[in-house]
Amino acid sequence: MARRERVASTRRAFAPRRVVQALSQQGGAAVSLQWPATATLDLPFDTPAESWLALHCDSSDARALERLAILAHDYTPRVSHEESDAVLLEVRGSFRLFGGAHALCRQILERSLQLSLHISWALAPTPLAALALARARQNVIVASRERLVGLLSPLPVAVLRWPEATIERLESIGVRTLGALLRLPRAGFAQRFGQPALQMLDRLTGTVVDLRRPHRLRERFCVRGEPSFELQTDTVLLQHLTPLLAELERFLCLRQAGIEALQLRLRHHPPSADTRLTLRFAAAQWQADACRELLALQLSRKRLPAPVVAYELRSGAIRPRVTCSASLWRGNEQGAGVAAEVPALIERLRARLGDESVYGLCLVPEHRPERAWRIAEPHAPAKPGSVGATYNNTTRRPLWLLQQPRALPCALSQLQLLEGPERIETGWWDGGEVARDYYIACNRDGSRLWIYRERSAPHAWYWHGVFA
Amino acid sequence: MAPSNPNNAQSCALEALLEHPAIWSGRSAARVATLSTGYAELDAALPGGGWPAAGLIEILTARSGIGEMQLLLPLLVRAGRILPPRWSVWVAPPFEPYAPALVAAGVPLPQQLIIRTAQPLWALEQTLLCGGCALVLGWAGPRPAATALRRLQLAAQHAGAPAFLFRSLQEASHASAAELRITCEPLSVATADPDQQSARLQLLKSRGGRRTPFVVCWNHGAT
Repeated sequence: MARRERVASTRRAFAPRRVVQALSQQGGAAVSLQWPATATLDLPFDTPAESWLALHCDSSDARALERLAILAHDYTPRVSHEESDAVLLEVRGSFRLFGGAHALCRQILERSLQLSLHISWALAPTPLAALALARARQNVIVASRERLVGLLSPLPVAVLRWPEATIERLESIGVRTLGALLRLPRAGFAQRFGQPALQMLDRLTGTVVDLRRPHRLRERFCVRGEPSFELQTDTVLLQHLTPLLAELERFLCLRQAGIEALQLRLRHHPPSADTRLTLRFAAAQWQADACRELLALQLSRKRLPAPVVAYELRSGAIRPRVTCSASLWRGNEQGAGVAAEVPALIERLRARLGDESVYGLCLVPEHRPERAWRIAEPHAPAKPGSVGATYNNTTRRPLWLLQQPRALPCALSQLQLLEGPERIETGWWDGGEVARDYYIACNRDGSRLWIYRERSAPHAWYWHGVFA
Repeated sequence: MAPSNPNNAQSCALEALLEHPAIWSGRSAARVATLSTGYAELDAALPGGGWPAAGLIEILTARSGIGEMQLLLPLLVRAGRILPPRWSVWVAPPFEPYAPALVAAGVPLPQQLIIRTAQPLWALEQTLLCGGCALVLGWAGPRPAATALRRLQLAAQHAGAPAFLFRSLQEASHASAAELRITCEPLSVATADPDQQSARLQLLKSRGGRRTPFVVCWNHGAT
């Protein structure tokens, strides 16, 4: 008896104030105003498509909402964030698994109470209706679309969270509730308040399908640890981190994902500034061995200021893994691809030389010679023929360009001008103005130089490239 | 048969002697796989008719920018057409490889990878050991150690890719484990056509190439 009492009391805590039920398909006018006695006697949801549960949280705290959304992912894959005050869940497909709509709602609410969030909620056939009901603290379950408008009607217009000015204009024409709003003539309403507002009302009542942007979980791998003894050298540290990297690999394998960055933070004793290492991968990486190798390279570059007493390993954003079939040939054989080897090479080189030391090239459509190219992120080489930009310039360009134009390597009189001038005068609009006459000159020692003369005083000559 | 000319008789005897299977002659060395250089004169001079397909190749010049890259452009163009695509790696080039000129010459840009480093030999070896590169161009600092060159030669053979190392002409007398060593000197231009340029090449070390210097011409406008 006592047990039943307790159950009843929890039920009361979450009991909806009203439960609206549609006519059952058997034809009887079944009406239930309380929670049904057993889960099997759950509401027959005749609305075929969707049931949206809105969880409205008063404190517009982004972190609280994020926690709520993470919780929601336990119940349905279709979770979406509403502006700044609610989380919406499509739970139609989860009723059977969780024992019906009531059981499901109760379970979700109980868990969100554990997060010590003050929540109002509503379950309705359309997301906007659920949201409006939840914002009005109705705590109802609406099982059928026919009754939806009737329930929405008494709600104040403010639950739509329209701009203040719009609400005031509506009030000035005597519209204070959603019911009054829905009774307005459509054409006139659209003309006065705009088509988007009308579309929102259509989505509210379910005449138009409401597509919502899904909420995606931001997963990270993060482990902290405090070893039982101080880690003196990087070899010992690396040994200690190896099982964690294996754990990372398992974590990533389960998600068929990889990471592009991995951060390691080390705390020292006696206290000194924390050591931070960041590994960057050229492609989504998941293999523990590769991470370990790069970590070893980075650690060998750094000196630990003091023994390590705590560490934190944190992954960057998780990226979908790009898999490809293993090649029949070994890497150095004819016909072998570069899918696996070259990203590893770039990572290794970058780990030792720094990110900026390894790069690719790409063209920029620009007349100024020093801006006609730029550094590109090296990815796996593209197929020949898919060269992004084509270069239509028929004028000759040197194979080598100097990083900065330099003074001529010899007196001008020793140079024989072969071709020119080619005038390049552009860039006045972005502050990098150039006005130059370019010549191809032959040096006494047989090398061909690309030189130019400034058009503005003092008309100095510069050396800008070499035809190698 | 009484030989009429003693000189002729001697050379006949020598040739008969050289036919002996126990005598190994450099020129009859096993043929190596080669890649055409794109220049007929150079192909004719090189053993096997082209650059060795695997191994270290040294190009020695008095200074950089006298046409040594012109020798490699046809190879770079062809390396860019390999399927599946592979990298052409430039390790520590002396200036910036200029993208518009490369594209104009037909070298595909997405396959080019530039590495800037103060340790070019380490980067060269890593690049070769990875085995995903069509060719590697490297500019070593002054006086690379003979052991380092040996390592590079082994790595290039392992990779099955040619590794071109650009060195100073002053180091021509240093010993090197390279497969092929070439000096390249520009010829002063006296031609009427300003696009014409030529260089005198000599094979310092090769397994059966031509010993005498030869001249290679190219036309800048044609590329």
